[in-house]
Amino acid sequence: MLELDGVNTFRGPAQILRGVSLRVGDGEAVCLVGRNGAGKTTTIDSIMGLLPVRSGRVVFRGHDITRLPPHRRARHGIGYAPEDAGIFPDLTVAENFEITRWLAGGERAGAAAAGIDERIAAVFPEVSSFLTRRGLHLSGGQKKMVAIARAMALSPAILLLDEPFEGLAPVVVSRFIDAVKRIKAMGISVLIAESNLVNAMRVADRLYAIDRGEIIFHGDPREAFANAEVMKTLRG
Amino acid sequence: MGIVLIHLLNSLLYASVLFLIAGGLSLIYGVMRIVNLAHGNLYALGAYVSAWVIGQWLTGAPLGVLYLLLPVGAVAAALVGAVLEPTLLRRFYKRPEEYQLLITFGLLMILEDALRLVWGPYPLSASVLWESVGSISIGDSLYPTYNLIVIAVGGIAAAFLWAFVYRTKFGVVLRATSQDMRMAAALGVDVNRVYIQAFTIGCFMAGLGGAIIVPSQSAVLGMGVDALILAFVVVVIGGLGSLEGALAGALIVGFVREAGIALFPEIELAVLYLIAAIVLLARPAGLFGRPA
Repeated sequence: MLELDGVNTFRGPAQILRGVSLRVGDGEAVCLVGRNGAGKTTTIDSIMGLLPVRSGRVVFRGHDITRLPPHRRARHGIGYAPEDAGIFPDLTVAENFEITRWLAGGERAGAAAAGIDERIAAVFPEVSSFLTRRGLHLSGGQKKMVAIARAMALSPAILLLDEPFEGLAPVVVSRFIDAVKRIKAMGISVLIAESNLVNAMRVADRLYAIDRGEIIFHGDPREAFANAEVMKTLRG
Repeated sequence: MGIVLIHLLNSLLYASVLFLIAGGLSLIYGVMRIVNLAHGNLYALGAYVSAWVIGQWLTGAPLGVLYLLLPVGAVAAALVGAVLEPTLLRRFYKRPEEYQLLITFGLLMILEDALRLVWGPYPLSASVLWESVGSISIGDSLYPTYNLIVIAVGGIAAAFLWAFVYRTKFGVVLRATSQDMRMAAALGVDVNRVYIQAFTIGCFMAGLGGAIIVPSQSAVLGMGVDALILAFVVVVIGGLGSLEGALAGALIVGFVREAGIALFPEIELAVLYLIAAIVLLARPAGLFGRPA
């Protein structure tokens, strides 16, 4: 589904990612775990094309998308919900959805256009109660819900979720983890950037640990827990 | 009573043209965050092209044809905008504002010289349209009917633009891009395409302002700079980047200027700048602008 091969990315003069390689399979939930500043968001941004990759390759469904602009990646089926949710503040929730729905109905018609609303309702049914509210007036949790539901409206093959549980109350985190499991059950792959290893273990099939821009561990989440060196790095 | 109505109509006439110029300026800033100083001479280009087509090239053509061709200046300004945005301006969006101001000021000067080069230093007129519709009686005075057409065009343009921005799919995409370009791109919006379209629409509005005013006043060198300064007063009052602000600002400037001409002509412009200064002090983002 998605593969990063030796990706090096810079922010200005500073190298953030150092030869990052990872893979997300069909229908798989993969977590990228690391402390703040480890390179999780930069990895997600590099996949989405929001930061240029200096060297290495990003391959999606067998196509090299390393040099594609972000909108082409989204239209190829990569959904994205950023850490700050990225809700357009002056647009209503319905308008936030309409943007992706139109694009899905246009360039990726057919499978994309059909059943989008049902799938969103299956993941976050409560979203329908605040469709007319402007983004500006949503709570933090509502914004994150809308961000994920909006990415779903593009009918993606993979969802990139950057810190989806951050700042949420524990009970709401459980609600979101349940939502991710439902998304996965729909056959959509998920890559989650997460700083909390416990949350990652609850949702991930596989896990990558990142530190200072380098992948330091890859495997089963339980193995990461058992690895003292990885745990020490992740906990700082 | 008649004289009050005439002053009111003059205010609306002035506000209509100002809204077209300032609305385009605000639309471009709202989406691309660039202050386009060349905007004034895109207004002048619209005036020159329409005046040349109607007043010189097609002299003697049926009036209906001339009226249909009046917006040709707006189309010319839009075409110039559609070329300038991707080839020149786009490279400067990520540069500091002083670079953007320098490049658009340079464009303002280049366009001014281009107008002089193509049409020479003499005024161009399309007064045949203004004369063709005559005048109407208001009280004891006569009022040019053509001015009512300009007011109607301004009103229709404002309504059309509002509907376009708030009631169409493209309007939603446009507002999304203006609020968070990065996120819009990540959701599949071709931001570069939106930029060209927004810039072209903004330039079309400026050109339309020039095209509809040229039957009642000649196209002259320097008209773009004068219009630009007043458009800035409008957007300072209304809020740069806000279409509602451009409309409110244009109406305020229109009414204050008309009142100034009637009551205190010596300081008419000074009063406008004073109002702009007070708004800047009290509400730096303008009446409808949102603080950065």
